[in-house]
Amino acid sequence: MKFDKKPNKLILIAGLGLLLFILPFLTKLIVGNQYPLLIMCIIMIYIIAVTGLDILFGYCGQISLGHAAFFTLGAYTTGLLNMYFNLPLFITIPAATVLTSVLGALLAYPASKLKFHFLSLATVAFGEITYYFLYTSPGGFTRDFRGINVVGISFLGEDYLKWYFFLLFFVVLVLLGKTSLIKSRTGRAFTAIRENTHAADGMGINVRKQKIIAFTVSAFLTGLAGALYVHLIKYISPETSMQKQSVLFLTMLLFGGTASIMGTILGVVSIEVLMEAIRFLQEYQMLFYGILLLIVIVALPGGVYGGIKDLIVTIKRKKALKALNVQKAADTGKDGAE
Amino acid sequence: MLETRNITINFGGLIAVNNVSITVQPHKITALIGPNGAGKTTFFNCISGVYKPTKGEIILDGQHLEGKRGFQINAAGIARTYQVINLFWKMTALENVLVGMNSRLTTNFWDCLFHTKKKRAEEKLIYEEAYELLKFVGLEQYANAPAASLSYGKQRLLEIVRGLASKPKVILLDEPAAGMNTAEKAELDILLKKIIDMGVTILIVEHDMKLIMNVSDYIYVLCNGMLLAQGVPEEIQNNPEVICAYLGGEE
Amino acid sequence: MFKVLLINGLIIGGIYALIALGYSLIYRASGLLTFAQGDLITLGSYLGLTFYKFLGLDFFISFLLTFISAFIFGILLEKGVIRALLNKNVIPIYIVLATIAVSYIIQNSMQALFGTTTIQFPQVFKKGTLTIFGITAQTEAYACLAISLILMLLLHLFMKNTKFGVAMRGAAMDPLAAESCGINTSLTTGVTWGLAAGIASIAGMLLGPMYGVYTVLGSIIGRKGFAGAVIGGYGNMYGAMIGGIILGLIETFVAGYWTGTYKNLIAYAILIIFLFIKPTGIFNEKAIQDV
Repeated sequence: MKFDKKPNKLILIAGLGLLLFILPFLTKLIVGNQYPLLIMCIIMIYIIAVTGLDILFGYCGQISLGHAAFFTLGAYTTGLLNMYFNLPLFITIPAATVLTSVLGALLAYPASKLKFHFLSLATVAFGEITYYFLYTSPGGFTRDFRGINVVGISFLGEDYLKWYFFLLFFVVLVLLGKTSLIKSRTGRAFTAIRENTHAADGMGINVRKQKIIAFTVSAFLTGLAGALYVHLIKYISPETSMQKQSVLFLTMLLFGGTASIMGTILGVVSIEVLMEAIRFLQEYQMLFYGILLLIVIVALPGGVYGGIKDLIVTIKRKKALKALNVQKAADTGKDGAE
Repeated sequence: MLETRNITINFGGLIAVNNVSITVQPHKITALIGPNGAGKTTFFNCISGVYKPTKGEIILDGQHLEGKRGFQINAAGIARTYQVINLFWKMTALENVLVGMNSRLTTNFWDCLFHTKKKRAEEKLIYEEAYELLKFVGLEQYANAPAASLSYGKQRLLEIVRGLASKPKVILLDEPAAGMNTAEKAELDILLKKIIDMGVTILIVEHDMKLIMNVSDYIYVLCNGMLLAQGVPEEIQNNPEVICAYLGGEE
Repeated sequence: MFKVLLINGLIIGGIYALIALGYSLIYRASGLLTFAQGDLITLGSYLGLTFYKFLGLDFFISFLLTFISAFIFGILLEKGVIRALLNKNVIPIYIVLATIAVSYIIQNSMQALFGTTTIQFPQVFKKGTLTIFGITAQTEAYACLAISLILMLLLHLFMKNTKFGVAMRGAAMDPLAAESCGINTSLTTGVTWGLAAGIASIAGMLLGPMYGVYTVLGSIIGRKGFAGAVIGGYGNMYGAMIGGIILGLIETFVAGYWTGTYKNLIAYAILIIFLFIKPTGIFNEKAIQDV
C-alpha cells in the first residue's frame, strides 16, 4: 500500500509545482495588469503570517487575538530601521524578525500561565497596547497616525511577477519547516499540550518551555510576514495592528482548518478572495463580512478544510456501502443460481 | 528503589496525607489500598509532582524528588496513569505512545525544524518502538486510530503502555482496573506480571481486592490519610483493623 | 483638580462597572467571554437616541424601551447563536469569534443606518450643569453616576432576594444541581445574557448625553472594560462593580496627573499587568492554569 502512494505523491507535487509556476504568467496574460499578481503576493504573505498563528493556536492550543501586533511590528521595525539608519534590507528584515521573536518570547513567559479566555484577553491587551503605542509614539518616531512610507526591494522593483517567485521561495521554506515540525518531538509536544496539558506534563514535557517556543516561532513567522509585506506595499500605518486584522488572521485559520498545511492555504486564499469579491460593497463590506462570518461559524465549524474532509469521508462511506450491496447482490445471485 | 519518608500534604488546614512512609521494592508490585477518600490519589499526585508535599521526602534510587515538577519527575524515571483517563484524545494511539517517550528523546527544537539526519533516524526508531509497544498490549491494529475512538478498556491499556514508553523505573498505576469486566481484569493480571518481567517496578492503587491479593507482593493500607497497616497479602487479608476500616466497624 | 478628577473618575468608573458586570455575569453563567458587549453599548446609545430624539418619547420611557429591546436582543443572541454552538460542541474559540462577528454586525449596521458622524444626544435635564460639593459637571454626568449606582444596587437586591435571582446564581454555580432542583437553566442563562445586554444598553444611553453618539463609542469602552472585570476577579459580580470603579479612577487620575495622550492605553496596561501578576483579581477567582 505504502509503495503505491509514493509515486502518486510525487506526481501531485510536480503537477502543483508546474501550476504554481505557470499561474502568474497566465493571470498576467489573461487580465492584462498586475493586480491579480499583487493579490497572490499578499496571499502568500498572509499564508506565512497565518502559519505562525497555526503553530501557536492550531497545534499548541494557545489562543492569540492580538497577532496583528507582531505583523505590524515586523513591518515597522524594518521600515523604521531603513528610514532612520539607512540600513540595507537584508539586515532590517532579519532584525524585524528578531524583535518580534523576542517580544513573543517575553509575552509568552507570563502568558503561558493563563487559561484560554484570559490568554485571549492578554493578547487583546498586547494588540491594543501596540496599536496605541504606534499611534502616539514617544516623540512621534513612528510618525503616528500618518504611518510610514517605506522603500521597496530594489532588485524586485515594481515587478510583481518577480515578487511572486521571491515570496514563493519563502512560503515553500516556511511550509517545509512546518511539515517537518509537525512530525517531530516538538510538534507532538505542542499537540499534547493542546490536547491535555496535565498529561503532557506527566509525560515529561516541559509545558512552560514548549509554550514559549511556540510563541517565539509564531511571532517570528508573523513578524517575517509583516516585514515582507511592508516592502511590497511600501506603506504601513498603526491601523494594521488593530484587532480587526488579528481577527482576520484567526478567521483565515479557522475557516481553512487548524493544524494542517492545506487548511492554512485554503483559509487564506478563500478569505482573501472573498474580501476582494465584496470590496465593491464599499461601506457595507464589513457588515457583509460580519454576517457571512456568523453564518459560516454556525453552519460549518470545522472550517472549509474540515468540511471537505467530512465530505470525502461521506462519499467514501457511500461508495463502500454501495460496493458492499453489490457484493451481497452478487452472492445471493450466485446462491440462487446454485 | 522508591521511598517516601514522612510525606504530609496539608491543604490549608485539611490534612489529606499524614506522615506516610512507604518503600517500593524494585521488580515487585507494591499496592496501595484503602477506603474511598483515604488520600491514595492525593499521595500518588504528590509522588508524580502534581502536588508538593508540605513535609517529607521522596527518594528514587538516592535522588530526591520532592518539590520537583511533573515533567522532571517523569524524566527521573517515574511514569503514571490516571484515575480518570487522560489520553491525548485527538492524537492516534501510536502518537500517544510517541509522546510518552518524550523524556528519552534527544532531538531538540532545531533538529525538529530542519529535519536533520538525527531527527529522521530517531523518528524511524521510535515509530518502530512505539508500534512494538502497542503490540505488547494487543493494540497494534489501532495504531492510527484516534485515542477517543477506542473502547474504554483499550483506552486504559493505551494509557498504561504510554506510561511504559518512557522506559521508567517505576510506573504508578491509578486504579487501572476501574470499569473493566472480569475478562479484561484477568488480562490485566497477566499484563502486570509482564510489566515486571520488562524490568519496570509497579506501584498500584486499586479497589479490586481479588486482583490486588493476586498480584501484589506487598500492600500498604491507607485510611484517613494515615498508614493503617502494611504487609504481605496474607497478613493484610487477616488484619482486623483493615477489615474494620473497609466495613466501617467499631474503632 | 483632584475633586474634578475624582468625580469624573467615579462617573466613568460607574460605566466601567456596568460593563464589567455584564462580562462577569455572562462568564459566571456560561463560562464564556463575549466581545459583543461593547457594541451592545453602542446599540443602546442609538436605540436611546431613536426613542428619545427621533420618536420624541419621554426620557424614562425611552430608557425602559431601550433596556427591553436590548434585553430581548440578548436573549435571542444566547438562544440563537450561543446555545446553537454549545449544542454542536464546538471548540470555545468559535463562540468567541461568533460574538466578534455579532459585534461587527451591530457596529456596521449602526453605521449603515446612521452614518459615521457623531450625533448629538439632546439635553435631558433642564438645568445644564450641576454643582455638588463644589464640583461642577454636566447634570447628565451626575445622573449617569447615580443611575449606575442604583442599577448596581437593584441588581444586588435582585440576585440576593428574588426567587429568580437566586435561581440564576444557583444555575451559574452548578447547572446540573440546579436542574435537579427544578431550575430551568436554559431560561436563566438566556435571562443572564439578556440582562447583560440590557445593562450595556443602559450604559450606552448614559454615555450618549456626555460623549455624543457614534459608531465606535461602545466597542472602545467595552474592550477597555475587560480590565475592570479582571481587577475584581472575573466572574465575581461585586468584584466587577468595584473593579470597574477602580479602573475609572485610575484611568482618570493617571490621565489627569501624568499624561493624557496615552489615556486609552492605561486600561490595557492595567489589564495586562493584572493578568500577568494577579489574574484571579481582588476577589480571587480561578484563572491561572496549574501546570
